[in-house]
Amino acid sequence: MTPEEKLAALEEMLELEAGDLAPTTKLSRLEEWDSLAALAFIVLMDDRFSKTITGEQIRSFATVQDIMDEMEM
Amino acid sequence: MQSEIRATIDAIEYYLPQKVLTNAELCKNSEKWSDEKIVSKVGIRSRHVAKEGECASDLAEQAAQKLFAQHAIDPASIDFIMLATQSPDYPLPTTACILQDRLGIPTTAGALDFNLGCSAYIYGLMLAKGLVLSGAASRVLLLTAETYSKHLHAEDMSVRIIFGDGAAATLVSANGKGAVIGAFDLGTDGSGFENIIVQTGGMRYPEGTNDGSTSGDKDENKRFLYPDCLYIDGAEIFSFALRVVPETVKRVLEKSGLSQDDIDLFVFHQANGFMLRVLKKKLKIPNEKFFVDMEDVGNTVSASIPMTLKRACDAGLVHPGDKVMLVGFGVGLSWGATIITAGESDGSPSAGETVAAAGESDGSPSAGATVVAAGESDG
Repeated sequence: MTPEEKLAALEEMLELEAGDLAPTTKLSRLEEWDSLAALAFIVLMDDRFSKTITGEQIRSFATVQDIMDEMEM
Repeated sequence: MQSEIRATIDAIEYYLPQKVLTNAELCKNSEKWSDEKIVSKVGIRSRHVAKEGECASDLAEQAAQKLFAQHAIDPASIDFIMLATQSPDYPLPTTACILQDRLGIPTTAGALDFNLGCSAYIYGLMLAKGLVLSGAASRVLLLTAETYSKHLHAEDMSVRIIFGDGAAATLVSANGKGAVIGAFDLGTDGSGFENIIVQTGGMRYPEGTNDGSTSGDKDENKRFLYPDCLYIDGAEIFSFALRVVPETVKRVLEKSGLSQDDIDLFVFHQANGFMLRVLKKKLKIPNEKFFVDMEDVGNTVSASIPMTLKRACDAGLVHPGDKVMLVGFGVGLSWGATIITAGESDGSPSAGETVAAAGESDGSPSAGATVVAAGESDG
Protein backbone atom coordinates (compact mmCIF):
# COMPACT_ATOMS: atom_id res chain seq x y z
CA MET A 1 0.00 0.00 0.00
CA THR A 2 1.40 3.42 -0.92
CA PRO A 3 1.33 6.27 1.59
CA GLU A 4 -1.45 7.85 -0.47
CA GLU A 5 -3.51 4.67 -0.31
CA LYS A 6 -2.98 4.45 3.44
CA LEU A 7 -4.15 8.01 3.92
CA ALA A 8 -7.17 7.35 1.74
CA ALA A 9 -8.04 4.23 3.74
CA LEU A 10 -7.78 6.18 7.01
CA GLU A 11 -9.85 9.05 5.64
CA GLU A 12 -12.52 6.60 4.57
CA MET A 13 -12.44 4.91 7.97
CA LEU A 14 -12.81 8.24 9.78
CA GLU A 15 -15.46 9.48 7.36
CA LEU A 16 -13.29 12.43 6.35
CA GLU A 17 -12.89 14.15 3.00
CA ALA A 18 -9.98 13.27 0.73
CA GLY A 19 -7.02 15.41 1.65
CA ASP A 20 -8.13 16.01 5.24
CA LEU A 21 -5.30 13.91 6.64
CA ALA A 22 -1.56 14.39 6.36
CA PRO A 23 1.16 12.18 7.87
CA THR A 24 2.02 15.01 10.22
CA THR A 25 -1.54 15.43 11.50
CA LYS A 26 -1.47 15.21 15.30
CA LEU A 27 -4.02 12.75 16.63
CA SER A 28 -4.65 14.87 19.71
CA ARG A 29 -5.93 17.57 17.36
CA LEU A 30 -8.07 15.17 15.36
CA GLU A 31 -11.56 15.08 16.79
CA GLU A 32 -12.54 12.03 14.72
CA TRP A 33 -9.77 9.93 16.29
CA ASP A 34 -11.78 8.64 19.26
CA SER A 35 -12.33 5.32 20.97
CA LEU A 36 -14.70 4.12 18.25
CA ALA A 37 -12.18 5.09 15.56
CA ALA A 38 -9.61 3.01 17.41
CA LEU A 39 -11.95 0.01 17.14
CA ALA A 40 -12.50 0.69 13.47
CA PHE A 41 -8.72 0.76 13.01
CA ILE A 42 -8.39 -2.61 14.76
CA VAL A 43 -10.94 -4.02 12.32
CA LEU A 44 -9.16 -2.46 9.34
CA MET A 45 -5.84 -3.97 10.39
CA ASP A 46 -7.40 -7.37 11.03
CA ASP A 47 -9.25 -7.29 7.75
CA ARG A 48 -6.67 -5.88 5.35
CA PHE A 49 -3.39 -6.78 7.00
CA SER A 50 -4.30 -9.79 9.20
CA LYS A 51 -2.57 -8.01 12.07
CA THR A 52 -3.71 -7.66 15.66
CA ILE A 53 -3.33 -4.16 17.06
CA THR A 54 -3.34 -3.78 20.83
CA GLY A 55 -4.77 -0.97 22.92
CA GLU A 56 -1.24 -0.16 24.03
CA GLN A 57 -0.10 0.34 20.43
CA ILE A 58 -3.08 2.57 19.80
CA ARG A 59 -2.32 4.67 22.86
CA SER A 60 1.26 5.11 21.63
CA PHE A 61 0.19 6.71 18.34
CA ALA A 62 0.85 10.45 18.26
CA THR A 63 0.55 11.30 14.57
CA VAL A 64 -1.12 9.90 11.48
CA GLN A 65 2.33 8.76 10.37
CA ASP A 66 2.53 6.49 13.44
CA ILE A 67 -0.68 4.81 12.32
CA MET A 68 0.55 4.50 8.73
CA ASP A 69 3.74 2.80 9.93
CA GLU A 70 1.63 -0.06 11.29
CA MET A 71 -0.21 -0.51 8.02
CA GLU A 72 2.12 -3.13 6.59
CA MET A 73 1.68 -6.86 6.11
CA MET B 1 -29.78 -51.13 30.39
CA GLN B 2 -29.87 -47.66 31.79
CA SER B 3 -29.65 -44.94 29.20
CA GLU B 4 -27.01 -42.26 29.46
CA ILE B 5 -27.97 -39.16 31.40
CA ARG B 6 -28.39 -36.03 29.34
CA ALA B 7 -28.41 -32.50 30.73
CA THR B 8 -31.14 -30.40 29.17
CA ILE B 9 -32.16 -26.74 29.19
CA ASP B 10 -35.85 -27.08 29.94
CA ALA B 11 -36.97 -23.49 30.33
CA ILE B 12 -35.65 -19.93 30.26
CA GLU B 13 -37.25 -16.71 31.43
CA TYR B 14 -35.84 -13.26 31.98
CA TYR B 15 -36.68 -10.12 33.86
CA LEU B 16 -35.82 -6.50 33.16
CA PRO B 17 -36.10 -3.76 35.77
CA GLN B 18 -38.90 -1.32 35.01
CA LYS B 19 -36.84 1.84 34.73
CA VAL B 20 -35.79 2.56 31.14
CA LEU B 21 -32.89 4.81 30.17
CA THR B 22 -33.14 6.08 26.60
CA ASN B 23 -30.36 7.42 24.39
CA ALA B 24 -32.10 10.77 24.34
CA GLU B 25 -31.89 10.97 28.11
CA LEU B 26 -28.24 9.89 28.09
CA CYS B 27 -27.28 12.41 25.42
CA LYS B 28 -28.99 15.37 27.05
CA ASN B 29 -25.76 16.98 28.15
CA SER B 30 -23.41 15.55 25.56
CA GLU B 31 -22.19 17.34 22.49
CA LYS B 32 -20.38 14.32 21.21
CA TRP B 33 -23.18 11.78 21.38
CA SER B 34 -26.62 11.64 19.83
CA ASP B 35 -29.38 9.06 19.76
CA GLU B 36 -28.66 8.35 16.09
CA LYS B 37 -24.94 8.02 16.59
CA ILE B 38 -25.38 5.53 19.44
CA VAL B 39 -27.84 3.46 17.43
CA SER B 40 -25.62 3.37 14.35
CA LYS B 41 -22.44 2.59 16.28
CA VAL B 42 -23.57 0.15 18.94
CA GLY B 43 -27.14 -0.77 17.98
CA ILE B 44 -28.72 0.25 21.29
CA ARG B 45 -31.66 2.64 21.72
CA SER B 46 -32.50 2.11 25.36
CA ARG B 47 -31.60 -0.06 28.30
CA HIS B 48 -33.25 -1.01 31.56
CA VAL B 49 -31.57 0.05 34.78
CA ALA B 50 -32.24 -1.03 38.35
CA LYS B 51 -33.46 1.68 40.66
CA GLU B 52 -31.75 2.51 43.92
CA GLY B 53 -32.09 -0.42 46.30
CA GLU B 54 -33.01 -2.80 43.50
CA CYS B 55 -30.30 -5.45 43.52
CA ALA B 56 -29.16 -8.52 41.60
CA SER B 57 -31.11 -10.74 44.03
CA ASP B 58 -34.32 -8.83 43.27
CA LEU B 59 -33.92 -9.20 39.52
CA ALA B 60 -32.94 -12.86 39.86
CA GLU B 61 -35.95 -13.50 42.10
CA GLN B 62 -38.32 -11.99 39.55
CA ALA B 63 -36.80 -14.03 36.73
CA ALA B 64 -37.04 -17.23 38.80
CA GLN B 65 -40.64 -16.57 39.87
CA LYS B 66 -41.52 -16.05 36.23
CA LEU B 67 -39.81 -19.30 35.31
CA PHE B 68 -41.74 -21.19 37.98
CA ALA B 69 -45.08 -19.62 36.99
CA GLN B 70 -44.78 -19.86 33.20
CA HIS B 71 -43.50 -23.41 33.16
CA ALA B 72 -45.36 -24.89 36.13
CA ILE B 73 -42.13 -25.61 37.97
CA ASP B 74 -42.40 -26.42 41.65
CA PRO B 75 -39.65 -24.62 43.62
CA ALA B 76 -39.55 -27.71 45.85
CA SER B 77 -38.20 -29.69 42.89
CA ILE B 78 -35.05 -27.56 42.62
CA ASP B 79 -32.02 -29.20 44.22
CA PHE B 80 -29.30 -26.71 43.26
CA ILE B 81 -29.16 -22.92 42.82
CA MET B 82 -26.36 -21.23 40.99
CA LEU B 83 -26.12 -17.47 40.60
CA ALA B 84 -23.68 -15.66 38.35
CA THR B 85 -23.25 -12.04 39.34
CA GLN B 86 -20.56 -9.39 39.62
CA SER B 87 -22.88 -7.04 41.46
CA PRO B 88 -23.91 -9.14 44.49
CA ASP B 89 -26.10 -7.71 47.24
CA TYR B 90 -23.31 -8.06 49.82
CA PRO B 91 -19.61 -9.00 49.83
CA LEU B 92 -20.95 -11.90 51.86
CA PRO B 93 -23.14 -13.92 52.31
CA THR B 94 -23.66 -15.65 49.00
CA THR B 95 -26.60 -14.11 47.19
CA ALA B 96 -27.77 -17.55 46.01
CA CYS B 97 -28.32 -18.49 49.67
CA ILE B 98 -30.62 -15.52 50.12
CA LEU B 99 -32.50 -16.59 47.02
CA GLN B 100 -32.98 -20.15 48.35
CA ASP B 101 -35.12 -18.72 51.12
CA ARG B 102 -36.90 -16.10 49.04
CA LEU B 103 -37.84 -18.58 46.33
CA GLY B 104 -39.03 -21.32 48.68
CA ILE B 105 -36.43 -23.78 47.48
CA PRO B 106 -35.80 -26.63 49.94
CA THR B 107 -33.02 -26.27 52.49
CA THR B 108 -31.64 -29.54 51.13
CA ALA B 109 -30.60 -27.71 47.95
CA GLY B 110 -27.03 -26.61 47.28
CA ALA B 111 -26.42 -22.96 46.46
CA LEU B 112 -23.47 -20.94 45.27
CA ASP B 113 -22.56 -17.74 43.52
CA PHE B 114 -19.89 -17.57 40.88
CA ASN B 115 -18.11 -14.46 39.75
CA LEU B 116 -17.98 -14.25 35.98
CA GLY B 117 -19.45 -11.75 33.58
CA CYS B 118 -20.07 -12.07 29.87
CA SER B 119 -18.85 -15.68 29.78
CA ALA B 120 -20.85 -16.69 32.89
CA TYR B 121 -23.79 -18.33 31.16
CA ILE B 122 -21.53 -20.76 29.28
CA TYR B 123 -19.73 -21.63 32.53
CA GLY B 124 -23.06 -21.94 34.34
CA LEU B 125 -24.33 -24.41 31.76
CA MET B 126 -21.08 -26.35 32.03
CA LEU B 127 -21.27 -26.50 35.84
CA ALA B 128 -24.96 -27.40 35.77
CA LYS B 129 -24.29 -30.14 33.24
CA GLY B 130 -21.48 -31.43 35.45
CA LEU B 131 -23.75 -31.55 38.49
CA VAL B 132 -26.47 -33.34 36.57
CA LEU B 133 -24.17 -35.87 34.92
CA SER B 134 -22.40 -36.64 38.20
CA GLY B 135 -25.73 -37.24 39.89
CA ALA B 136 -25.04 -34.52 42.47
CA ALA B 137 -28.16 -32.66 41.38
CA SER B 138 -31.05 -33.32 39.04
CA ARG B 139 -32.77 -29.95 38.72
CA VAL B 140 -30.45 -26.94 38.70
CA LEU B 141 -31.75 -23.39 38.77
CA LEU B 142 -29.14 -21.34 36.91
CA LEU B 143 -29.56 -17.64 37.56
CA THR B 144 -27.61 -14.84 35.90
CA ALA B 145 -28.31 -11.37 37.27
CA GLU B 146 -26.47 -8.10 36.89
CA THR B 147 -26.89 -4.50 37.92
CA TYR B 148 -23.77 -3.20 36.19
CA SER B 149 -25.44 0.23 36.08
CA LYS B 150 -24.39 0.55 39.73
CA HIS B 151 -20.75 0.09 38.68
CA LEU B 152 -20.88 2.88 36.09
CA HIS B 153 -19.75 6.45 36.54
CA ALA B 154 -22.44 8.98 35.70
CA GLU B 155 -20.08 10.83 33.35
CA ASP B 156 -18.61 7.81 31.60
CA MET B 157 -20.69 7.70 28.45
CA SER B 158 -18.54 5.03 26.81
CA VAL B 159 -19.95 2.45 29.22
CA ARG B 160 -23.32 4.00 30.00
CA ILE B 161 -24.45 3.69 26.39
CA ILE B 162 -23.57 -0.02 26.37
CA PHE B 163 -24.72 -1.64 29.59
CA GLY B 164 -28.21 -2.48 30.79
CA ASP B 165 -29.39 -4.41 33.84
CA GLY B 166 -31.32 -7.65 33.77
CA ALA B 167 -31.59 -11.21 34.98
CA ALA B 168 -32.34 -14.60 33.49
CA ALA B 169 -33.42 -17.89 35.03
CA THR B 170 -32.71 -21.22 33.37
CA LEU B 171 -33.76 -24.69 34.46
CA VAL B 172 -31.19 -27.36 33.68
CA SER B 173 -32.31 -30.88 34.47
CA ALA B 174 -31.48 -34.52 33.96
CA ASN B 175 -33.17 -35.98 30.90
CA GLY B 176 -35.69 -33.17 30.50
CA LYS B 177 -37.63 -32.38 27.35
CA GLY B 178 -35.58 -29.38 26.38
CA ALA B 179 -32.39 -28.65 24.48
CA VAL B 180 -29.57 -31.08 25.10
CA ILE B 181 -26.40 -29.38 26.31
CA GLY B 182 -23.47 -30.58 24.23
CA ALA B 183 -19.71 -30.05 24.27
CA PHE B 184 -17.91 -27.04 25.69
CA ASP B 185 -14.84 -25.05 24.83
CA LEU B 186 -13.62 -22.77 27.61
CA GLY B 187 -10.75 -20.33 27.92
CA THR B 188 -9.09 -17.89 30.30
CA ASP B 189 -6.43 -15.20 29.96
CA GLY B 190 -5.82 -13.54 33.31
CA SER B 191 -3.04 -11.39 31.86
CA GLY B 192 -5.81 -9.11 30.63
CA PHE B 193 -7.51 -8.75 34.01
CA GLU B 194 -7.05 -4.98 34.11
CA ASN B 195 -8.83 -4.47 30.81
CA ILE B 196 -12.27 -4.77 32.38
CA ILE B 197 -12.12 -3.89 36.04
CA VAL B 198 -13.70 -2.19 39.01
CA GLN B 199 -10.61 -1.43 41.06
CA THR B 200 -11.89 -0.58 44.49
CA GLY B 201 -14.25 -2.27 46.93
CA GLY B 202 -12.36 -5.57 47.14
CA MET B 203 -9.68 -6.25 49.73
CA ARG B 204 -6.79 -4.97 47.59
CA TYR B 205 -8.24 -1.47 47.56
CA PRO B 206 -11.00 -1.68 50.16
CA GLU B 207 -11.55 2.05 50.42
CA GLY B 208 -13.46 3.60 47.60
CA THR B 209 -12.13 6.98 46.55
CA ASN B 210 -15.66 8.35 46.25
CA ASP B 211 -14.07 10.59 43.71
CA GLY B 212 -14.95 10.66 40.06
CA SER B 213 -12.56 13.42 39.17
CA THR B 214 -8.99 12.35 39.79
CA SER B 215 -6.34 14.66 38.50
CA GLY B 216 -4.45 14.14 35.31
CA ASP B 217 -5.25 14.12 31.67
CA LYS B 218 -8.67 12.61 31.21
CA ASP B 219 -7.92 10.69 28.06
CA GLU B 220 -4.38 9.50 28.62
CA ASN B 221 -4.97 8.45 32.17
CA LYS B 222 -8.38 6.98 31.75
CA ARG B 223 -7.52 3.67 33.35
CA PHE B 224 -7.44 5.44 36.70
CA LEU B 225 -10.06 8.05 36.07
CA TYR B 226 -12.93 6.43 37.95
CA PRO B 227 -11.35 3.74 40.17
CA ASP B 228 -14.62 3.05 41.98
CA CYS B 229 -16.39 2.41 38.71
CA LEU B 230 -16.20 0.06 35.78
CA TYR B 231 -13.24 0.62 33.51
CA ILE B 232 -13.03 -0.97 30.08
CA ASP B 233 -10.15 -0.72 27.69
CA GLY B 234 -12.31 -0.89 24.61
CA ALA B 235 -9.48 -1.42 22.15
CA GLU B 236 -7.92 -4.25 24.16
CA ILE B 237 -11.24 -6.01 24.64
CA PHE B 238 -12.06 -5.62 21.01
CA SER B 239 -8.73 -7.13 19.94
CA PHE B 240 -9.26 -9.90 22.47
CA ALA B 241 -12.70 -10.76 21.11
CA LEU B 242 -11.49 -10.73 17.51
CA ARG B 243 -8.76 -13.15 18.54
CA VAL B 244 -10.49 -15.62 20.86
CA VAL B 245 -14.04 -15.83 19.54
CA PRO B 246 -13.14 -17.36 16.16
CA GLU B 247 -10.82 -19.81 17.98
CA THR B 248 -13.42 -20.96 20.48
CA VAL B 249 -16.02 -21.31 17.72
CA LYS B 250 -13.64 -23.53 15.79
CA ARG B 251 -12.74 -25.64 18.80
CA VAL B 252 -16.28 -26.25 20.01
CA LEU B 253 -17.21 -27.34 16.49
CA GLU B 254 -14.27 -29.77 16.47
CA LYS B 255 -15.20 -31.14 19.88
CA SER B 256 -18.75 -31.65 18.66
CA GLY B 257 -17.75 -33.24 15.37
CA LEU B 258 -19.64 -30.56 13.47
CA SER B 259 -18.86 -28.03 10.78
CA GLN B 260 -19.92 -24.41 10.94
CA ASP B 261 -22.62 -25.08 8.35
CA ASP B 262 -24.25 -27.57 10.72
CA ILE B 263 -25.12 -24.77 13.13
CA ASP B 264 -28.64 -23.43 12.63
CA LEU B 265 -28.34 -20.38 14.83
CA PHE B 266 -25.55 -18.45 16.56
CA VAL B 267 -26.39 -16.68 19.80
CA PHE B 268 -23.40 -14.66 20.94
CA HIS B 269 -23.08 -12.58 24.06
CA GLN B 270 -24.65 -9.28 23.03
CA ALA B 271 -21.57 -7.16 23.69
CA ASN B 272 -22.48 -4.31 21.36
CA GLY B 273 -23.73 -4.03 17.82
CA PHE B 274 -20.39 -2.96 16.40
CA MET B 275 -18.46 -5.87 17.85
CA LEU B 276 -21.14 -8.35 16.80
CA ARG B 277 -21.12 -7.07 13.22
CA VAL B 278 -17.36 -7.45 13.03
CA LEU B 279 -17.39 -10.95 14.54
CA LYS B 280 -20.17 -12.07 12.21
CA LYS B 281 -18.22 -10.84 9.21
CA LYS B 282 -14.95 -12.35 10.37
CA LEU B 283 -16.61 -15.73 10.94
CA LYS B 284 -18.57 -15.46 7.68
CA ILE B 285 -21.84 -16.29 9.43
CA PRO B 286 -24.88 -15.52 7.27
CA ASN B 287 -27.21 -12.82 8.63
CA GLU B 288 -30.14 -15.17 9.05
CA LYS B 289 -28.13 -17.44 11.33
CA PHE B 290 -26.75 -14.69 13.53
CA PHE B 291 -29.26 -13.43 16.05
CA VAL B 292 -28.81 -9.92 17.42
CA ASP B 293 -31.48 -8.46 19.68
CA MET B 294 -30.18 -5.83 22.05
CA GLU B 295 -31.66 -2.56 20.84
CA ASP B 296 -33.93 -2.22 23.87
CA VAL B 297 -31.75 -3.91 26.50
CA GLY B 298 -28.09 -3.17 25.77
CA ASN B 299 -25.34 -5.41 27.05
CA THR B 300 -26.79 -7.21 30.08
CA VAL B 301 -23.54 -9.08 30.83
CA SER B 302 -24.30 -12.58 32.18
CA ALA B 303 -28.02 -12.27 31.44
CA SER B 304 -27.40 -11.51 27.79
CA ILE B 305 -27.04 -15.00 26.30
CA PRO B 306 -30.07 -16.63 27.99
CA MET B 307 -32.19 -13.55 27.32
CA THR B 308 -31.20 -13.52 23.66
CA LEU B 309 -31.72 -17.26 23.33
CA LYS B 310 -35.19 -16.92 24.85
CA ARG B 311 -35.98 -14.08 22.48
CA ALA B 312 -34.79 -16.15 19.51
CA CYS B 313 -37.13 -18.94 20.63
CA ASP B 314 -40.03 -16.52 21.04
CA ALA B 315 -39.33 -15.17 17.56
CA GLY B 316 -39.69 -18.71 16.19
CA LEU B 317 -36.05 -18.96 15.15
CA VAL B 318 -35.29 -22.16 17.03
CA HIS B 319 -36.86 -25.31 15.65
CA PRO B 320 -36.90 -28.80 17.12
CA GLY B 321 -33.57 -30.48 16.45
CA ASP B 322 -31.80 -27.23 15.64
CA LYS B 323 -28.21 -26.83 16.73
CA VAL B 324 -27.60 -23.51 18.42
CA MET B 325 -24.13 -22.27 19.28
CA LEU B 326 -23.79 -20.06 22.35
CA VAL B 327 -20.63 -17.98 22.78
CA GLY B 328 -19.65 -15.76 25.71
CA PHE B 329 -16.54 -13.59 26.08
CA GLY B 330 -15.39 -10.76 28.30
CA VAL B 331 -14.25 -9.80 31.80
CA GLY B 332 -11.57 -12.06 33.31
CA LEU B 333 -10.57 -12.28 30.59
CA SER B 334 -12.76 -15.33 30.12
CA TRP B 335 -14.59 -16.99 27.29
CA GLY B 336 -16.50 -20.10 26.37
CA ALA B 337 -18.76 -21.72 23.81
CA THR B 338 -21.20 -24.60 23.72
CA ILE B 339 -23.63 -26.13 21.28
CA ILE B 340 -27.15 -27.08 22.32
CA THR B 341 -29.59 -29.20 20.35
CA ALA B 342 -33.22 -28.13 20.61
CA GLY B 343 -35.65 -30.82 21.78
CA GLU B 344 -37.37 -32.95 19.13
CA SER B 345 -41.07 -32.38 18.63
CA ASP B 346 -43.91 -34.04 16.79
CA GLY B 347 -45.26 -30.61 16.06
CA SER B 348 -47.91 -30.48 18.75
CA PRO B 349 -47.24 -28.45 21.87
CA SER B 350 -46.61 -30.83 24.69
CA ALA B 351 -48.30 -30.75 28.06
CA GLY B 352 -47.46 -27.78 30.20
CA GLU B 353 -46.07 -25.80 27.32
CA THR B 354 -47.75 -23.06 25.44
CA VAL B 355 -46.79 -21.92 22.00
CA ALA B 356 -44.68 -18.82 21.97
CA ALA B 357 -46.66 -15.65 21.53
CA ALA B 358 -45.64 -14.15 18.23
CA GLY B 359 -45.38 -10.49 17.37
CA GLU B 360 -44.24 -9.21 20.72
CA SER B 361 -41.40 -6.84 20.15
CA ASP B 362 -41.89 -4.17 22.75
CA GLY B 363 -39.09 -5.59 24.80
CA SER B 364 -41.20 -6.61 27.71
CA PRO B 365 -40.60 -10.16 28.77
CA SER B 366 -43.17 -12.14 26.85
CA ALA B 367 -44.99 -15.21 27.97
CA GLY B 368 -44.75 -18.50 26.19
CA ALA B 369 -42.66 -21.58 26.03
CA THR B 370 -39.10 -21.67 24.96
CA VAL B 371 -38.76 -23.72 21.84
CA VAL B 372 -35.64 -24.82 23.61
CA ALA B 373 -38.11 -26.92 25.53
CA ALA B 374 -40.33 -27.85 22.61
CA GLY B 375 -41.92 -31.22 22.67
CA GLU B 376 -41.05 -34.63 23.96
CA SER B 377 -37.92 -36.37 22.93
CA ASP B 378 -38.54 -39.86 21.64
CA GLY B 379 -36.99 -41.20 24.84
